[in-house]
Amino acid sequence: MPDELRIPQPVLTELRAIAGPGNLRLAAGELAVYAGDATPLIRAMPDAVIAPADAEQVARILRLATEHRIPVVPRGAGSNLCAGTVPVNGGIVLSTVRMNRILEVAPDEMLARAETAVTTQALNDAAAPHGLFYPPDPGSHTVSTIGGNVATCAGGLRGLKYGVTRNYVLGLTVVLPTGEIVRTGGRLWKDVAGYDLTRLITGSEGTLGVITEVTVALLPDPVTSRTGLAYFGSLAQAGRAVAGILAAGVIPSTLEFLDRKCMDAVEQYAHLGLHSDAGALLLFGDDGDEAVVARSFERIAAACMESGAMAIQTAGDITESEALLTARRCTLPALSRLGSLTILEDASVPRPRLAEMVARIDAIAARHQVTMATFGHAGDGNLHPTCVLESASDTDGIARAERAFADVFDTAIELGGTITGEHGVGAAKLPYLARRLGTGQMDLIRRIKTAFDPAGILNPGKLGS
Amino acid sequence: MTGAKAAPTGSIFDPGLLSRCISCGFCLAACPTYALTGDETSSPRGRIALMRALDSGTLPPGDPTVAEQSSFCLGCRACEPVCPAGVQYGELLEQWRGYQWAGRGRPLIVRLLIFAAERSWAHRIAGRLRGAARTPEAASRPALMLGCFERSLYPKVSRSALALAPELAVPSRQGCCGALHAHNGEPERGKQLAVQLGAALPGQIVTTSGGCAAHLSAVLGRDRVAELSEYLQGRVTGQVLVGNRLARVALQDSCHLRNGLGVWREPRALLSAVAEYVELPGAGRCCGAAGTYSLVRPRDSRRVLDPKLDAIEAAGIDYVVAVNPGCLRQLQQGLRRRKSPVRAVHIADLLRLAAG
Repeated sequence: MPDELRIPQPVLTELRAIAGPGNLRLAAGELAVYAGDATPLIRAMPDAVIAPADAEQVARILRLATEHRIPVVPRGAGSNLCAGTVPVNGGIVLSTVRMNRILEVAPDEMLARAETAVTTQALNDAAAPHGLFYPPDPGSHTVSTIGGNVATCAGGLRGLKYGVTRNYVLGLTVVLPTGEIVRTGGRLWKDVAGYDLTRLITGSEGTLGVITEVTVALLPDPVTSRTGLAYFGSLAQAGRAVAGILAAGVIPSTLEFLDRKCMDAVEQYAHLGLHSDAGALLLFGDDGDEAVVARSFERIAAACMESGAMAIQTAGDITESEALLTARRCTLPALSRLGSLTILEDASVPRPRLAEMVARIDAIAARHQVTMATFGHAGDGNLHPTCVLESASDTDGIARAERAFADVFDTAIELGGTITGEHGVGAAKLPYLARRLGTGQMDLIRRIKTAFDPAGILNPGKLGS
Repeated sequence: MTGAKAAPTGSIFDPGLLSRCISCGFCLAACPTYALTGDETSSPRGRIALMRALDSGTLPPGDPTVAEQSSFCLGCRACEPVCPAGVQYGELLEQWRGYQWAGRGRPLIVRLLIFAAERSWAHRIAGRLRGAARTPEAASRPALMLGCFERSLYPKVSRSALALAPELAVPSRQGCCGALHAHNGEPERGKQLAVQLGAALPGQIVTTSGGCAAHLSAVLGRDRVAELSEYLQGRVTGQVLVGNRLARVALQDSCHLRNGLGVWREPRALLSAVAEYVELPGAGRCCGAAGTYSLVRPRDSRRVLDPKLDAIEAAGIDYVVAVNPGCLRQLQQGLRRRKSPVRAVHIADLLRLAAG
């Protein structure tokens, strides 16, 4: 049990009445599993877990929490990588899982409307029979919820060509911490009536409101989709190839890179027969009409060869393509096989600085004596330097990793980049946020937060705190 | 897979196995009990968090959530193939139950079953009375393993297997493989029995049960064991007809065969050769039999089974085929309750029917 029950008994009684007896959980074991998410090292026990059925119940919970100043942390699948759903100040974890219906797919408007806990994959499955798809594809798309995707403005492998979550959110139903249920945006591509609250809430990481329903735009499913690999002696060469590809007028749907350490880890896991001597790998893909894809592939191959590619390999069929993409998606967990603790970061730099950034990361890792492997989205300059440690109890190693990452963030900012490209700030990166934003923006963010959440109950210790 | 001896510190789990999980959550989508509840507590990641809390003492030994979750888990291991970090969840669950179900913690029905499984003479007699397959002993040949409960519940299965592969030796003097023990809180006894069976059947062991195959492989080595559909690859003949047309058949995977041994193409290949094969949506998902689960937690077992029965009835098939006696029993009972015209059969019996 928690050291002291921080939620008064009458409030618990009321919470139970709101969501139904089976949907309020208080047992020590039930709380323990909600202490963390997919982020390593950051854990904190909640005082209660509640799973409301709809926006109305969410509103009643939030009103109660505001009245009694109890923190509320909204949570979807808990697959985020910024400790965004860790209840760092205790309080109530609000699980959205029961709100999991797909409400409509409207092919004539090319959109879908779903409750917040529908998984990204399920949304895509529902769109597929209509010849449509939802482009953002975060690595965790089989489990992540669409509401969680919106809350973190999730990215993914297709970001360069198709953009990220914010480019597809048309409308939201959001419950404010003070209990009002607000519908922002709607079903329209063009709609400039008022501040763009839909975009403000997208990526607000559960600090401004609880998203209960999402309307997203869909695109026609591309006829063909192909994937290929190019091997390079070094990441710098791969970086030149990326510049060459884009200069040739191709915007690939996928343009990912892995350094040597990542290739080894992925190979160990997926047995794809990756090149054993190359220093870097570029995974590229494009989709669309067959002829267009074929032309893209010719140009991509030419650009890679001009930049000194050692070898190029293109996938013969969809199954093979999927295997390559799956391998890329699981790079992080595959890296985790190298040690007991993997700490993943998410810096972004302008595309031309990618190779320089990777070189600087290697130097930082050497300086702090940590093992760091780097992979990421070459097309949009988003890197995932990942630190692998032998043991989760290696406090000295963790401290060195943290110092190394602080240097990585400073370097990213120095090169015109950012401290997080797609994983979010959460509790994990809040200490570094001011370096990126400066005091003016930090103040503005706090004022926005106060306007939405005067009592400061919603996901405290994160953005806006 | 090394022995799960308690470390001197009194730790319950093999620390190397327990530390593998990175909490990425990729397992959630594969877990049948998470699908039922949507509750992190009943997901593989949540259960590993509970194991860790138990191991570190954050939660006390008698914690009710920990006890409940160690039992609510089907043990289907669907979380393993989707886990990129390579967590051996099945092994962890065995260690967990070994701790949780020690002594009086074990459900009564499990104690009865283990008691019965330990009486190998009773299975021998029951097998003979019920007419399970039997041949003289012959050490040099591959041997058909007779599941301890299959002998009396489904004696026809071993006869069909022997008809399909007449070269098999089927000595009646063979014990339990120990899968029952390993999955129900006696991992050490489970290993011991597998080793004993390995000595009694010194050649290749062919089994008609996916669950036994996975357990035996884990102890004796993969090359010693073949599940029947693996063993029969490329040597089935005939057709299964319903009236004048080819029968429409679907497979229900055995969880441990699929998730533990990666065998799922093989039975499909055999069925496609003798009938019109239909892939059920969710064929790879647990049917809820899960060893003793359908007896220990009948209500939850049916909640897992129900969507599967819906899929079977919607598929317009004649037969649903099982590769494990527990799954067969679960499907037969479920279909009977619904008065469904679809029949559940063991793959050995269906292939025998095809061969004529």
